[in-house]
Amino acid sequence: MIDQRKCIGCHACTVACKEENRVPLGAFRTWVKYVERGSFPETRRHFAVLRCNHCDNAPCVTICPTVALYRRPDGIVDLDGARCIGCKSCMHACPYDALYIDPASHTAAKCHYCAHRVEMGLEPACVIVCPEQAIIAGDLDDPTTTIARLVASEPVQVRKPEQRTRPKVFYVGADTAALTPRLQQPAASYMWGERPAAELDLVRMVASAPMTDVDGPRSRPVYDAPHAPRPWGARVSAYLWTKSIAAGVVLVASLAAASGALRGAAVADPLVMVVAPLVSVVFLLLTTALLVLDLKRPDRFHYILLKPNRRSWLVWGAWILLAFGAAGGVWLAAGLLHLPTVVSAVTVPASLLALGAAGYSAFLFGQAEGRDFWQSSLLLPHLIAAALVAGAATLIVVDAAWSPWADLCRAVLAVGLVMHGALVGVEVLRRHRDHDAARAARLLTRGGYARRLWVGVALVGTAAPLALLVVGTASPSATLDVVAAILALAGLWLWEDLWVKAGQSVPLS
Amino acid sequence: MIQPSPSPREPLHPAAQELPARPGGLASYPPPERWDDWVEYDPVAWPRKVERRYALIPTICFNCEAACGLLAYVDKQTLRIQKFEGNPQHPGSRGRNCAKGPATLNQIEDTERIRYPMRRVGVRGAGQWERVTWDEALDDIAARIRAALVEGRGNEVMYHLGRPGHELVYLQRVFHAWGIDGHNSHTNVCSAGARAGYAFWHGMDRPSPDHAHARFILLLSSHLESGHYFNPHAQRIIEAKMRGARVCVIDTRLSNTASMADYWLSPWPGTEAAVLLAIANLLVRERRYDRGFVRRWVNWEEYLRAERPELPVTFEAFETALEDLYARFTPEFAAAESGVAAATIVDVAREIANAGSALATHIWRNTAAGNLGGWQVARALEWLVVLMGAVSTPGGTAPSAWNKVVPAPPLMPPARKVWSELLMPREYPLAFFEMSFLLPHFLREGRGKLAMYFTRVYNPVWTNPDGMSWIEMLGDETKVERHACLTPIWSETAWFADYVLPMGHASERHDLMSQETHAARWIGFRQPVLRVMQERAGKTFPSTWEAHEAAGIGQVWEEDEFWIELSWRIDPDGSLDIRKYFESPYRPGQKLRVEEIYRWIFEYSVPGLPEAAAREKLTPLAYMRKYGAFLVEDGVYRTHETAPPARDLNDAVVDPVTRVIAREGQPVGVEVDGQPRLGFPTPSRKLEFFSSTLKAWKWPEQAVPNYIQSHVHWSRIDRARGEMVLLPTFRLPTLIHTRSGNAKWLYELSHSNPLWIHPEDAARTGVATGDLLKVATEIGWFVDKAWVTEAVRPGVIACSHHLGRWRLRDDTGGERWSTALVDLQQVAPRQWKMRQVHGVRPFPSDDPDSERVWWGDAGVHQNLTFPVHPDPVSGQHCWHQKVSVSVPGPDERYGDIFVDTEKAFAVYREWLALARPAPGPDNLRRPLWLPRAFKPHPDAYRIP
Repeated sequence: MIDQRKCIGCHACTVACKEENRVPLGAFRTWVKYVERGSFPETRRHFAVLRCNHCDNAPCVTICPTVALYRRPDGIVDLDGARCIGCKSCMHACPYDALYIDPASHTAAKCHYCAHRVEMGLEPACVIVCPEQAIIAGDLDDPTTTIARLVASEPVQVRKPEQRTRPKVFYVGADTAALTPRLQQPAASYMWGERPAAELDLVRMVASAPMTDVDGPRSRPVYDAPHAPRPWGARVSAYLWTKSIAAGVVLVASLAAASGALRGAAVADPLVMVVAPLVSVVFLLLTTALLVLDLKRPDRFHYILLKPNRRSWLVWGAWILLAFGAAGGVWLAAGLLHLPTVVSAVTVPASLLALGAAGYSAFLFGQAEGRDFWQSSLLLPHLIAAALVAGAATLIVVDAAWSPWADLCRAVLAVGLVMHGALVGVEVLRRHRDHDAARAARLLTRGGYARRLWVGVALVGTAAPLALLVVGTASPSATLDVVAAILALAGLWLWEDLWVKAGQSVPLS
Repeated sequence: MIQPSPSPREPLHPAAQELPARPGGLASYPPPERWDDWVEYDPVAWPRKVERRYALIPTICFNCEAACGLLAYVDKQTLRIQKFEGNPQHPGSRGRNCAKGPATLNQIEDTERIRYPMRRVGVRGAGQWERVTWDEALDDIAARIRAALVEGRGNEVMYHLGRPGHELVYLQRVFHAWGIDGHNSHTNVCSAGARAGYAFWHGMDRPSPDHAHARFILLLSSHLESGHYFNPHAQRIIEAKMRGARVCVIDTRLSNTASMADYWLSPWPGTEAAVLLAIANLLVRERRYDRGFVRRWVNWEEYLRAERPELPVTFEAFETALEDLYARFTPEFAAAESGVAAATIVDVAREIANAGSALATHIWRNTAAGNLGGWQVARALEWLVVLMGAVSTPGGTAPSAWNKVVPAPPLMPPARKVWSELLMPREYPLAFFEMSFLLPHFLREGRGKLAMYFTRVYNPVWTNPDGMSWIEMLGDETKVERHACLTPIWSETAWFADYVLPMGHASERHDLMSQETHAARWIGFRQPVLRVMQERAGKTFPSTWEAHEAAGIGQVWEEDEFWIELSWRIDPDGSLDIRKYFESPYRPGQKLRVEEIYRWIFEYSVPGLPEAAAREKLTPLAYMRKYGAFLVEDGVYRTHETAPPARDLNDAVVDPVTRVIAREGQPVGVEVDGQPRLGFPTPSRKLEFFSSTLKAWKWPEQAVPNYIQSHVHWSRIDRARGEMVLLPTFRLPTLIHTRSGNAKWLYELSHSNPLWIHPEDAARTGVATGDLLKVATEIGWFVDKAWVTEAVRPGVIACSHHLGRWRLRDDTGGERWSTALVDLQQVAPRQWKMRQVHGVRPFPSDDPDSERVWWGDAGVHQNLTFPVHPDPVSGQHCWHQKVSVSVPGPDERYGDIFVDTEKAFAVYREWLALARPAPGPDNLRRPLWLPRAFKPHPDAYRIP
């Protein structure tokens, strides 16, 4: 419980926490935000102590693939760095900016309510240092405690109740704007401090896409601690792309096999027998490599399989990719050994697994509860469409432009591009219920990402290949097909990158 | 309203299954009986349960004046300090700290800290150093001092310090033993204005508000974030607020404190006294003040006799006289002067009237340190306290000295018949106290030289106005023959020393502290915890530096022992009559050990301590080593109403007119309504509304609380020409002057001091937040960036005084967490230019955090461009500056500074001309009754 009626914004809690837990420079487990409102001489500054909320329904615990994050029976959400693989998914699951990657251990860390002190019967370090006793620790379930009494008798707030995380840090007398990032203007610097360069780029970009129609009057943040902006970078965008290709080629090849079977043709075409599974396996390996390389502790990659959290879609994703890889391997082996019956038998499970491999990310990003833009019901169909685009385009580039399946690939690519284009359009232009999603969409349509979206994704990556495909129907040309396919692949990569970036561009705290 | 939700879902982590529920609640601190051996889990290894054993040893924070308690957790295995928490036994801080308390750990572990004594090689200020032994340094310094003493040049020995503690008495022992008047302080760049205002009222130079019990709290300070005494006062202010007290803050910029207040009044700088006197006037006119108290305790009769002889000496006549005197101070007048709405002034007056005697007030630096005549603001503020009868009441405001304890040390040398005109020149007979910041100009004028100059936790080159004149002074070896800097850390001043002598931080030294944090009297004991820890394990050390060396932090010493050792070397055979004061009271003729001083004090000078210790079967010293603090008296109120000690009343004489009780010519009390009372240590023994001293010492027009228009009054500022007022004094809750530069956690939080500028002024100047502004003073200019904000009055720019630290060499001479590397050039005689080469950068060190420094700003050093502005009465440097604000030229960069010290000298002479020099009555240098640090013998007060 933070009693903001008493808090004087002195940062004693911030420093005592750093001292107690040896928190490195650049990282904060608890920090104080200041916002100002009003015109001279009616100006007022408001403070808010921000940190992990020890949610009853903690999204970080759900998404953590290795049970490094866990909720103790006493309600503390603790973290075992020894199990953490540094996937950073918790940083997206948490809507409160509570987690960071420790630069020494390369594992996640956050406020753990000084669990090591609680074990000895002591209050957290921030509680005892506070000059105003504005931080109140205790057992909410015991009605005799100060904290339970205050929660029962005073009007309290929590941060972002709409996230349904059931936060366990309650605020008394807090300024709503200080707790709510969407009610704050972007700020490039603070009254006593700078913002790190990495944050600054983002701030400038966000500032460039104001939402005056949505925002209304906002408070001026005048002090805040730094936070790692956009923890997921190009490797995650690239992983989505390579995964689309790996899944897509299998889907298209299965379609080809099925349509071949329908027409009574043999499946023995090299595209179906070898090229598609080979491309799939290669891109799946690339996907895996990107995933592992994106871990802050790649050496602990195997923990996903050895210490799995079955509620985490990261774990399910690993299993699906594993199974998909196995199916692809069987397909490729059978293709190389000229066993068409095996190949046609494997296309069914392989294509189902391909759908899973392409689509599971929708559930993974869905578990990233902090990022509203990623919480889209269109994501699953969009990932499938992306896989179709990627699969068909890749096959056209690799082989199919000259193969008997060229028409099929062109058709799939065209259908995929239309779906993809439509979904992109709906995703960025529709009315988003959540502010953060709307802001991310605004960044894409009118902000710092707009040029890349409209020119790169829409024009060059979607409209142009579609146009080329239309031209190709009139006067077929393998070169035109390949150019269209390359443009589509490039456009898709750009979209994944923009989508991953935009989702993380809205401040969480 | 959100209700806590029911049972959580099943935990997943194996560790979570093993947790038993904790019976009972959580404690805040380990119980003292287990401080000797306390087990905690290693926080970094967690959730692996790795046990660490600690000894918990109390000490005192050194990061501001408040003297809050700290509890050092010393790892029994590694002998390293794991952390500092608050000391729950400390009556002032009650176990809690501000950000600067835990940051002490950074200072202890600072990879940049000075670990060995160093001596300059080559030219002073060139930055070449060699390591020397303590013996070499001591012998050289002792020889110089001895020569000065023997040759009658004792006043050429000067000790200049920033942060005293109990050392005030300790050092008085040292310097009176040496027979010199050599103590110089930082007070006149800090608190002299407020001190003077208070002292002319009640003879004690600070307020001690009883915030916890107040109904109305009026602050001309920012005690929820800084000041004497931030953490203890902030605790009690909020306590009162939660109980319903209302808070008013008068501060031109919106401090955090002002933001927490019910009323924020932002006056034009320097007009505060007009507001306060208007409030006082309203209270008097509406008779909503404590007439009984004023009648009993204010020297109104003296006022009437001296100033209104035509009136009868009746209280009613006094009330009429008051109405005449302050007739012009209407709310409308105050509003016109200050810019604060008249209605708000009336509202605050009503609140004060309703609060009665539970009116807690404070002014420390703020306007009293900024403005010519700022001391009258303190006087006007205290006038409200006096009117409400809130002097030393529950919830009121007491004089400081009644809420402190200053225990006597063994064998105090007598005051000496010496007077240093370099410290207390005759131009400033009423100053509080030493005119420290004028030293370079005094030496330039040929008023003397220094054979031995010590600076200690004091950084005049950076802190004082006109630092370039300090650099010129320190660079001149004919003026300052030897300069030794006693310091835990590098500083801009240490760079210009001959010796840099490492002294300990908070947990590395002895000290006895007592501060007026609330209506009580307590002592706190600072101790070198690593020495204490090792001595508990049976080791013994001849000195603290040897204990520190054994603990692995180098030859870091403490001043207490340094002075003992130095004094023995000055007078090895006792022939100068010095040595005897540095001999043990327990082992005659033997050299005093540091713990013997404190042992003696605790045994003989702290009432109640020996008994409390005996109850725990401890010696007084062991008790203090264990608990680190002792509450001497709680609930101290209305001390003035007590009777003088019976021994003082023997042979006492009562003046028939003033009713002052005197014994052997010394006033000891006053008769009030026929009863002998202790009263106040003023000539009238009453609260001096009318100061006969001010009148007699040539300031008759300022003898009563008054409003002096400041040197930065709005009528002197032409905003259309780009002129504005610069408020350069405000503090941040996270930093402390120039001695927190080694605290990485604090600099990570705060490392910029942009210029606060109102949007209206920003628009006129054509700047937005982040754009550069050039600020020109009377003697130079600096370039800083703008922070456009609604938190400051239009026409005023404000800049925190903490930031802008610099160093001249990349690898040494300044804390790399906090300093910019600068290039300092003398571009012409007495003209200096400074340019930042680069700001703060990551750097390699034993601390991996040094590579993680993510901020680059070190701020801008504004004080260099300020000339000295000595207030002619209080001696306070008046910090506020009339400046011209413009957009810098194309070649001017962030952090650029230019200073002309010739102009600085000219401004000094202008302000010097405002002074009304001694002698006063009886050919005195200074009124005998007025407080003065290290008071010399009365004979020394007479100008020969």
